[in-house]
Amino acid sequence: MATEVKLPRLGQGMESGTIVKWLKSEGEPVQKGEALYELDTDKVTQEVEAEASGVLLKIAVQEGEVPVGKTIGFIGAEGEEVQSADGDAPKAEEPPATSAERPAEAPAREPDRQAGREAAAAEAAAVESGGGSADGGSANGRVKASPLARRIARERGIELSSLAGSGPEGRIVAADVERAQATPDRPRDTLSLGPVGEVESRPLSNVRKTIARRLTQAWTVPAFQLTVSADMTRANELVQKQRELNPGVRVTVTDLLTKVSAQALMRHRDMNVQFADDALLVFPSADVGIAVAAPQGLVVPVVRGADRLSIAQIAQVRGDLVSRARDNKLRTEDLEGGTFTISNLGMYDIDQFVAVLNPPQASILAVGSTREQVVPQDGDLHVLPLMTMTLTCDHRAVDGATGSEFLRTLKAFLEDPGLAL
Amino acid sequence: MPELSYREAVRDTLVTAMRDDEDVFILGEDIAEMGGSMGVTQGLLDEFGPDRVRNTPISEMALAGAAIGAAMQGMRPIAEIMYEDFMTLAAEQVVNQAAKARYMSGGQLSVPVVFRTQGGAGWSPGAQHAQQLEAWFVHIPGLKVVFASTPEDVRGLLWSAIYDDNPVVFFEHRTLYPIKGTVPEKIEPIPIGKARIHREGEDVTVIATGRLVHESLKAAAEAEKEGVSVEVVDPRTLQPLDEETLVASVKKTNRAVVAHEAVTRMGFGAEVASVLQYQAFDWLDAPIERVGAKFAPLPFAPVMEQFVVPHADDVLQAIYRTVNKKA
Repeated sequence: MATEVKLPRLGQGMESGTIVKWLKSEGEPVQKGEALYELDTDKVTQEVEAEASGVLLKIAVQEGEVPVGKTIGFIGAEGEEVQSADGDAPKAEEPPATSAERPAEAPAREPDRQAGREAAAAEAAAVESGGGSADGGSANGRVKASPLARRIARERGIELSSLAGSGPEGRIVAADVERAQATPDRPRDTLSLGPVGEVESRPLSNVRKTIARRLTQAWTVPAFQLTVSADMTRANELVQKQRELNPGVRVTVTDLLTKVSAQALMRHRDMNVQFADDALLVFPSADVGIAVAAPQGLVVPVVRGADRLSIAQIAQVRGDLVSRARDNKLRTEDLEGGTFTISNLGMYDIDQFVAVLNPPQASILAVGSTREQVVPQDGDLHVLPLMTMTLTCDHRAVDGATGSEFLRTLKAFLEDPGLAL
Repeated sequence: MPELSYREAVRDTLVTAMRDDEDVFILGEDIAEMGGSMGVTQGLLDEFGPDRVRNTPISEMALAGAAIGAAMQGMRPIAEIMYEDFMTLAAEQVVNQAAKARYMSGGQLSVPVVFRTQGGAGWSPGAQHAQQLEAWFVHIPGLKVVFASTPEDVRGLLWSAIYDDNPVVFFEHRTLYPIKGTVPEKIEPIPIGKARIHREGEDVTVIATGRLVHESLKAAAEAEKEGVSVEVVDPRTLQPLDEETLVASVKKTNRAVVAHEAVTRMGFGAEVASVLQYQAFDWLDAPIERVGAKFAPLPFAPVMEQFVVPHADDVLQAIYRTVNKKA
């Protein structure tokens, strides 16, 4: 009996996911634990592993958004028949009029033709079980539609790939297009015909939708900002020494910042909190999120227990998270449960900036670049490398004094890292 | 409106033309005393005498050549080729002489000849006496080709063929000779190059010739019981072809089946399908289906012959394929 591949729930509150692509094709052998397909949730795009070994018998949903728990494919023994929810897979029909005219055909070709028919049937089945989903009459990216269906779709501005085909072998026919509700003047169609220089409308990715939703939510939180500058002379020396000591990992200022922020958070437990409507959650460890500009948008993977990790260990964890973020390979658990976030735009030569809270976290540190500045000190002028940091706090959870004490500690740790011990 | 059989309709046209016009005469093998192997010319010898109802030697090439020569001299001869299988013996005269004379003489010659012939399976005449070879002649520029399927059509079209100033190959179907149908009191010429819509429908157009017109009408009646509305169109003239009517019908129904008794491969239906896909491409909602004989010599054994040539059920299955309906 074939095992159904169902869309898993990968995190709390996940209701659906978008299948980006299958990493195995129908008929290919699959080992349990092997990456089977790529799934886009509102948090990440990740590879989902097969939960059974065997042959990927059928892909029921080629791509598109699917609710949690829906069957998207089948794994079973080679040659096993799959009963789809829609009943038996329709068999591709042989056109009798023409085939009957080949009485002299060598019987050796029959297996080839049978294989062709099975492939056609599987294709049709995949399309059928796709139902009204975005799969439509497409198989392997090609949309099968009659010339009339194509013409009507063109005239009415209907995307053929969004339709399910009811014709032979899943072909989209005119009736399928006529059933589809055409939306007049859709931006996409206007665009394709529009002159050069028109506004381009790009559909939102799930990551972009999440950013929009969460930052809008953040904007409703009463927040305040505190700014401080730190002399980075010793911090830079320490980073340099760490690099010499750990040639295998590339230690950065962000790693040091992560470490000293974690230490400061543990010293100011009132900062390592979240506002939870009827309670204040105080966390036992400093899980520091690091904002990463990934190609798909801003993501914030978390370095867990940064207070208990060495700078070199943090560098290693951070390096792995950042590279996976850039490859769009983060997992849900990489993104969950941070208690504090560092957003460092120093590498972009930004002097200072104000970050928007990363809910439900209570604070976020916006870090600018380190610049040499003339600083009057003890009646003399000194040129010091200064780094400006702005802390944004959720005022429901943290007061100005609490935040100021935290920042004072953080500044002290950066200027004299030995104090963090 | 009188009722005539297909055979009587052909005879009526010949008799009427010969009574009206001294230039019209008939020639062929065993057409005089015997009245033709299919009995079409029975009684004509008595009325018109041996000068105008001429038995010929058993040489299709010779009788075709004689007819062409007479036509060039201003007569309107009607040559009967007993079986269309024997048109192969007359082909040199028909293809190389009759079809080319007007063109090669720069219009100085015209060849107003009709080659009447018949064929078709369904009565076990075997592989050499039942072929449907219309595609051979549709392929030749300079010939007109007619294939009538009803008494009314055969009467009106034969009249137009006789009075056309170009050579016409006129196909009759053996199994249609006994079918009866009402015809106009007086012969009404049917223009060459005009299709006939036998039955109007909305879902599928069946374009059929000869015997398959009747099989298609049976299939259409069956399909209607299942809620599929079928239009049946008979081109009647294969050359020139009434593309306008066929294309208009397919643009209306969006689906097409092309049906004839001849083998499908390289058949007349292939050309029709090509015309439709080119002129109605954006109106087609399904691949064009073709119905025809299997690619084999016609067997003598009745059960095998039945198996090779198409019938109403083959047309019905093709109709259902175009609408993706399970039979």
